[in-house]
Parts: sequence; structure tokens; C-alpha cells
Amino acid sequence: MPGNIRSVSFVWLVLVCLLFCSRLTSVGAAPICANAQAGCHVLSLANLFDRVIQHSARTHGISNDLHYEFEQYFLPSKNHIARVSRNCHTSSILTPNGKENAQRMAREELTEVILKLLVAWRDPLWHFHQSMAHHHDFNNFSSNKALEMSDMVHELRKGVEKVAEKMQVLGIISNTVSSLASPEASLPSDSAEWRLMKDYDLLYCFRRDSNKVQNYLKILKCRIVPEHGC
Amino acid sequence: MMRKVIAVILLVLLLFFTAHSTGNLHSPPGKPALTSCRSPEKETFTCWWKPGSDGGMPTSHALYYRKESSETVYECPDYHTAGENSCFFNKKDTSIWVNYNITVVATNALGRAFSDPVEIDVVYIVKPNPPEKVTVTVMEDKGWPFLRVSWEPPHKADTRSGWITLIYELRVKLEEDNDWEMHLAGQQKMFNIFSLRSGGKYLVEVRCKPDHGFWSEWSSTSYIKVPDYFHREKSAWILITVFSAFTFLILVWLLHMNRHNLKHCILPPVPGPKIKGFDKQLLKNGKSNEICSALVMPDFPPTASSNDDDLLVEYLEVYIPGEQELVLEESKDLHHGCLKSESSTSDSDSGRGSCDSHTLLTDKCGEAKEERRQTDQGCSQIRTEAQRRPKDALTYAHGDVVSSNMSSGRVKTWPSVFSPLPRYSPSPLDQQSSLQMAKQHSLSTSSYLTQPGHSAKEALGQSYRDFCLSGKQPHLLTPQTLVSRKLQAHSDVNISSIGLKRAPAGLRSPALRTTEYVEVQRVNNEDMVLLQPVVSGCGRMEGCFQVPQGEVYSKVKGVDSDNVLLLQREGMEEDRCPCVDQETNEGTGNCHTLNTVSNTRKPSACIYTAMPVEDEMAPIVNGYVDSANMCTLHTC
Repeated sequence: MPGNIRSVSFVWLVLVCLLFCSRLTSVGAAPICANAQAGCHVLSLANLFDRVIQHSARTHGISNDLHYEFEQYFLPSKNHIARVSRNCHTSSILTPNGKENAQRMAREELTEVILKLLVAWRDPLWHFHQSMAHHHDFNNFSSNKALEMSDMVHELRKGVEKVAEKMQVLGIISNTVSSLASPEASLPSDSAEWRLMKDYDLLYCFRRDSNKVQNYLKILKCRIVPEHGC
Repeated sequence: MMRKVIAVILLVLLLFFTAHSTGNLHSPPGKPALTSCRSPEKETFTCWWKPGSDGGMPTSHALYYRKESSETVYECPDYHTAGENSCFFNKKDTSIWVNYNITVVATNALGRAFSDPVEIDVVYIVKPNPPEKVTVTVMEDKGWPFLRVSWEPPHKADTRSGWITLIYELRVKLEEDNDWEMHLAGQQKMFNIFSLRSGGKYLVEVRCKPDHGFWSEWSSTSYIKVPDYFHREKSAWILITVFSAFTFLILVWLLHMNRHNLKHCILPPVPGPKIKGFDKQLLKNGKSNEICSALVMPDFPPTASSNDDDLLVEYLEVYIPGEQELVLEESKDLHHGCLKSESSTSDSDSGRGSCDSHTLLTDKCGEAKEERRQTDQGCSQIRTEAQRRPKDALTYAHGDVVSSNMSSGRVKTWPSVFSPLPRYSPSPLDQQSSLQMAKQHSLSTSSYLTQPGHSAKEALGQSYRDFCLSGKQPHLLTPQTLVSRKLQAHSDVNISSIGLKRAPAGLRSPALRTTEYVEVQRVNNEDMVLLQPVVSGCGRMEGCFQVPQGEVYSKVKGVDSDNVLLLQREGMEEDRCPCVDQETNEGTGNCHTLNTVSNTRKPSACIYTAMPVEDEMAPIVNGYVDSANMCTLHTC
């Protein structure tokens, strides 16, 4: 009996391993293939851009809704004095404030700006979501939106990185785009600023920044792959 | 000093008066208000304000703004481009994603007025211009037209670089309609509109909106007229109509051609009466006489020549209730026989020939149709008569009753008819008994038959036609062998003798025991009852038919003074007499009155056999059968 059980379990283990290994190998074969190699599922740059842009549009939409709810709920007066002195923690990032400025900016720079922005907002959004979850004043809908927003920013960042990677592969942009593996490194001083921001200001700032991201991405896309919907 | 004071007072008065004279009090300007700020392409923007009261003095307005995170106050660079009370910010002065804090200040000689500050971000105040170059064309899709609307974004909005993303919306309506049909086109710059009304005139307008901004105004209306394509539809309908009309005509023509068949199919002809020999036309057009005559079948009732004598009364029960009326009683079955031709068997009363009735009134019969005894009329009449005298003592001339058997047959013998005879007369007991038996047989058949009326005796005595006169005949009219046997036993009962020679009382039933059944065929116009022996009596004879021979009959010529029924034989029917005569001979001599003819009869002469009746019955043939000849009327 024990011999049979052992053999059976061994066989079973082998099978499971084979299964997993095959999966892993298949995953390994899934990265972006350049030049449409055989067996690769190639996503064109245009498709990537579209996906990313849609992502950013959704992110901006959520932030817009949240900001509107905040405004309705907490701050009836729009002309709050405190708003004048608002200072987003991402204001140190140089972002083009106009079309000409944005068009004048190099693709790499633009891409980098986008990435910087996205990176800068990862932690604040996460904490925002945490604070909202603990706040009993907010309903679940808002809390879920905050969580979704946080996730989406994370996904968006990944997507943009993928796009940058693809562009680099395609030779569209040079390899000067930093990997940004450590976002805190670029903004060390900002690490504590966002903690001082109130939730409302945070939402306000993020709403603007998500719009910037979306816009920059569109500009990038129409500059790089203009044939699709530009 | 005084002059200064006076000058000041004068000045004040002057001012007061001037102010009073003008009626207006100068005052600082009212507070202006910023109405809106809009950017058409997210690169420039304009702000408009509404000035407050000017306070009666010329007031100037100024717009000051401050950018976010900067304390520097700038004044509006352009007050004129955008019109009055506006401030236009050009590209240089416009920063996106930057908060502007704008304030308008109204100034006049007396003071200033500050408007409420407004914070704007250009990104969120974008209201593009309406789309341009809206074109509408009619195109065809598999024969059906549709509208293709195409446009271009406003030239100021830079969508090509991706700076602005616009979504479009268009609306369509017919010229005479009031409601627009809205269509959201998204980011595309072309749209197709289907389901058009042919010949209609359409109005199309387009507008656009950035991702987050305001809708533009509607573009200028484009008019388009859809061409008439109904004729194409109509031609198809015309074709269909023509085709269906053609098919309909063909169907109608086919129906017309086959209308007879259809008529037979739908309305099958009603079968008319199918009576043999019945002439419908005659019935419709003819007179009653003709009709009646037409109804009468030529060969009905069977005449003497016919063999179907069953229609006739087999035997004849003669009953004279004093009036010398011959009462012929018939059993019901006889009536049946009479009515055979009419195929009516239910009611014994129904339409029997006069001859068939039990009580046959000779006078009536005579008066009635001679030839038409068979008619129902006659029969019924007789019948009625018969029924009317149920109580009449029926003197049954017949001997034993063989009617029982007969009753089953068509012709009913009347043994019962005769059975009472013995009763009345002090006939020998044995005879009587036999007669009784016979009578009982027949009782069942005939209702009247058992009427041993006292008067019956007389009647019997007088009116036996039947007397078969062969007197004692062993064969009764009944075809039943049994009965005839019985009769035979009582052959001595000379029925005929009873009736013939004797007085009525003398039914001498015993004499009449042996009865020979005759059936009355008819009564002719001479008041003669034509009788014929019942063939059925021959049942016991070999080869004898049960059916009494209609051919052999005797007709009653009359009753003579001796109360003898004079029978007359007619035709050359089989001579039954031989049997009878022989019997009679054997008998007690009932037949003694009979002539010798009877004696010469062959015993086995079956009534039906083709005996040369004539030869033997010569006397009979000639005429009536008198008492002596009655034997010839025997029925086997």
C-alpha cells in the first residue's frame, strides 16, 4: 500500500509540475515581440497607446467624480481662500502648460514627465484610499472609487512603461528614459509633502495631474502614430 | 475770513443745486460681475463681465488677474478683441492647468467697485466652436437611400495634434416636424442616417464638445431633399397587383367552367322518388284520376292468372248476421296478405283490399271496386266493416283451425273462422273438439274469430261461403298440415253442408268441420264473391304450396233461398277439389250435397298441381259452385 501511494503521488507531482512549467514557459514567450516574430502575439504601438489613453481617461473620470463629490459634501463655497494657496506636491515637476510647450518637448521628456507624474501619485493615492476607508463620512461608493483610482494609476504607470519600452525597442525614442525603478529617488523631498495636504486638495491636484497625463499621452500618440484617430 | 466762508458756502450751495438740478446723485460704481470665461480651443480664453451701475458718472472697468502660486497681479491684456466688457487672453498669456484668479474693478470718479473673484482653469472652460463644413449627401444602399453627413472640427481646435479631443453630436428632422432626432457620433466625423421618408426635406445640424467642457453651438442648418424612390416600390406593387388579378381571373374562369361539377359537389342533387311505375311528371301535372290510376299497378292485385294469390284472402269466413251479408273475417294475417303489395304489415287494418277484410260486406264489396279490391281503400273499407262487427258471430266455416300455422304465412287461413262452427252446432264432440283446437289456433290470429255468437250460428249457417263447401274437407284452407289433418279428422264436418243447405243455425258445424278455405279474391259487380281455395291448405300435400292459389277460387254467385251459398268457380285453377271431394267422400257425407264432381276428385290433387281442373271441374268452371260443387272449392 504505501508503495502504491508513493508512486501515485509521485506521478501526480510530475504531472502538476509539467503543467506549471508549460504555463511558465508560455508566459515567458508572451513578452512583446519585435518585428512580429512567429508565435508572438504582437500588440502594435498604436494599440498600446490606445489602451493607455483609455486607461488614463478612465482615471481622470474617476478623479473628477470624486472631486465633485468632495466639493458638494465638504466645501460648499467654491471660492475658498485656501485654494489660492494650494500647492500640489507635484508642482515641482516641470510640466508643459501649453500646447506649444508640450509640442516643443521631446518625446522622451514627455514620456518621462508622464512617468514621473504617475509615480508621484502612487503613494498619495494609496493613503488617500486608506483614509477614506476609515472615514465614516464617505459612503462605500467613494471609497471604492478611491481604491479603483489607486489601482488604475498603478496600472497606468505600468502601461506607460510598456509603451516607453516599446518605443525604445522601435527606436522611436532613445534610451534616455530612466527606468524609474525607484520613484522616490526623483522626488525625495516630496515624500512628506503630500501628507500635509488635505484630502480635498489632494483630489484637486490629482484631478489636474490625471488630465495632464491624459493629454500628454494623446500628444505623444498623435505625434508618434498619427494615423489612428488624430 | 468772511469771504472764505462765504465762498465755501456758495460752493456748497452750488454743488447742492447742481446736484439737485440734475436729479442724479453721483455715486461710486456698482459692483461688476464676471459672467463667464470661455476658451474655444484650450489655448486662449475670454472673460466677460457685466458692469454694475455706473453711479451716474463715467465708469471704467479693469480686469485683474492673478495666476496660481504667484502674487503678481496682471491686468487684462486685451479689452477689445472680444468686444465690450470682455477680456481676451491670448496664447501667450494663457496657461493651461493653472488657476487664474480674475477680478473686475469698476472705477468712476467717486469710487471703485470690485467684483467677486473667479477662479478658473482653462482646461475646464473649453467651449469649442461649432463644427464646420457640414455636408449632407444622399447615398444608396441596395436601392434604399440614406443620408451621409460629414463635417470637420472647428478650425481653431487642434485635434490633429491630440491637444483637444472632440466628440460630436448631430440632429436631424424633417422640415415639417418639430422634434429633432439626436445622434451621438463620438469622435468620428461622419455619420449615416437611414430610414428616410422618400421625397422628404431634411434639416441636419452638428455640434461638438471636448472631453471635459461645454457643448458648442449648433452648426448652421444643412438642407437636403431625399429623392422620390416610392415609384420603385410602387412598380413592385403594380406588378403584384397585376399578377394577382391575373391569377384571380384565371380562377374565376376555371370555376365558371366547372360550375356544374361544383354544383354537384356542393349541392348534390336530391334524389327523387323512385317508385316503380311512378310517373313524377304525371304527378305534377296530371289530374287526380290519372294519378290514382297511375298508382294502380296494372298487375296488381294479382288476378286469377297470377300465382301470387297470397294477397287474397285465403279463406273466406262468411258470416251472415241476418242480412245476408257476407262477413268475411280475416285474420290479421290475411290482411297482411292483402296488403302484401303495399308492403305494409304493421296494421291489419291498413288498406286492405275489401276482400281481405274479415267482414266482407258483399254489397259494399260489390259496390266497391270490382277490380280494385286490392286497393287499400277497398280493403280498409272492408276491414273497417270487419272491425265494426267484431262481435258478429263469426261463423267460421272452416273446420279446424289451421290458422295457427297459417298465421305465419301470408295468407291466413281461418281455421278459426270455421272453428266456431262446430261450437254452435251440436256437432259431434270430437269434431267440436277438433274444431276447438283449430279454433284455438286461430284465435290467436284473429280477434274476431272467436265470437261464437248465437247469431253467428245463423250467420254461419247462411253464409259460408267457404263452406268450402266441399264440406268436409280434410284440408282446410290453411296450409298447415296439422290443421288440415285435423280437419281431415273432422272431415265429416261438412262445413259446406253446414252453410249451404242448412239454415243458419245449422252451422252444422260438424259438417263444416272439414273446411275448405277459400279466399275471397274479389267481389265482382254482380255481388258475387269470388272465392278461391286457399292454396296453403295444400301444405300437407306433396308439392303443395302453402300459398293458396289465387287462381282457384270460387265466386259466390249468390245465396239461394235455401240459404245455400252459391259459389261459382272461376278460371281453371287447380282443382283442389279432388282432394276435397275425396275427403268428402270419406267423410260423413258432408259433401253429399256436393255433386259428383267432388267425388271424382283425386285425393292427392294438390291444389296447386296443374290439374286439369277444367275437366273435372267442368261444372264448376262454368259458373258458380253450388252446394254440390262446393267441394270443388276445397282447399288442400
